[in-house]
Amino acid sequence: MRDTGPPVVLVVEDEPDVAETYRRWLQSTYDVRVAADGAAAMAEIDESVDVVLLDRMMPEMSGEAVLREIRDRGMDCRVAMVTAVDPDFDIVEMGFDAYLTKPPEREELFETIERLLDRAELDGDLQEYYSLVARQSALQTEKSETELADSEEYAALTDRIDAAREAVDEELGDMASDTAFVGAVREIMDDEGEAE
Amino acid sequence: MSTYNIDEVLPEGTITELPAGTNVLITGPPMVGKRELAFQLLAVGHQEGEGVLCVTTSASASSMLDEFERQVPTLDRDRVAIVDCSGGDSQQTIREIATERVSSPGDLTGISIGTAKLLQQFSKQNVSDVRHGLVSISTLIQYLDLQTVFKFLHIYTSRIEDTGGLGVFTMDSDSHGAKTTNTVTSEFDCVIELRETEDGREVRVKGLPGASRSWHAFD
Repeated sequence: MRDTGPPVVLVVEDEPDVAETYRRWLQSTYDVRVAADGAAAMAEIDESVDVVLLDRMMPEMSGEAVLREIRDRGMDCRVAMVTAVDPDFDIVEMGFDAYLTKPPEREELFETIERLLDRAELDGDLQEYYSLVARQSALQTEKSETELADSEEYAALTDRIDAAREAVDEELGDMASDTAFVGAVREIMDDEGEAE
Repeated sequence: MSTYNIDEVLPEGTITELPAGTNVLITGPPMVGKRELAFQLLAVGHQEGEGVLCVTTSASASSMLDEFERQVPTLDRDRVAIVDCSGGDSQQTIREIATERVSSPGDLTGISIGTAKLLQQFSKQNVSDVRHGLVSISTLIQYLDLQTVFKFLHIYTSRIEDTGGLGVFTMDSDSHGAKTTNTVTSEFDCVIELRETEDGREVRVKGLPGASRSWHAFD
């Protein structure tokens, strides 16, 4: 998905001035696309989109409806809701991956996009971490503690596990955040669905 | 708070408190008393105003509430919250305490939403010290791949760590091979093992600095 070129950010915003501000801020770092309403967003979105910035209050098709459509189509992208009112718990249940209070600061916008791009790597990196731990567990059942202490392979594996865990925890970010926590669990469950 | 008191739950010479953010796994064969110990560890701070947020995978919310009331006869029901994925009939309990129902133990997204909602309610009540239970991991492994359960445990224990809670999880060591048990164990700061011997029940605590790693009689 991110093999070629910069990450793709789709801005869905019905106020042209606001959309233009986002574009100006973001275009040197990302491939920015803009859609003025929900219908345009659904026409614009495809597998190349990494992050969607979605205005909650839009005429005709609301941000929630757009999100539902994105999820129903099984698009592998992360969606941040931009909202003028402080969000309730319902945004966690609806399946938004993050939210920003309008108007977002430039720094905030970048941080949120970067966090969501990181989260796209989470399941794969958790998988790698799991595989290493599973191999370590197998060695622990096969060998004695003395054998393990003398094993270079085991020491190298332990180092790799520490590095893998560090990478995962960086992508997880602050799990005290409800949206980040539920979003992270949703990432591993999407994968479970595909495996079935 | 920086520590959770567990005084007098475990035998003398083991541990009496756990740092905030610690995740504990209780393992042992069936019928050795893992659930009961988990409820004791969860309930011991209740009198000091702490909250208990417990995920139950096989017993219904009402039977779980009964077990808590056995530990704490003067239970403040406003500070007990349960995520029930057992599919059991708990309409009555839902009226009595905060309960979120999840259709199946395999629905980890539902479980995470349920716990997040209930934790937010505690925070509105200014209950900031929360003990989190999950009874049991063995049920999750019956419903899902080990790798998915492992990933979930990594996320959920990080959540408990980042919110300064105390996590108490149980797993039946006989239902899974040694390799699976080792894999799950690696996600925990502290492991409490229970076993039955000819001389009675014994316990040992592993993982915490300073804790003695030998077996202690535990009746």
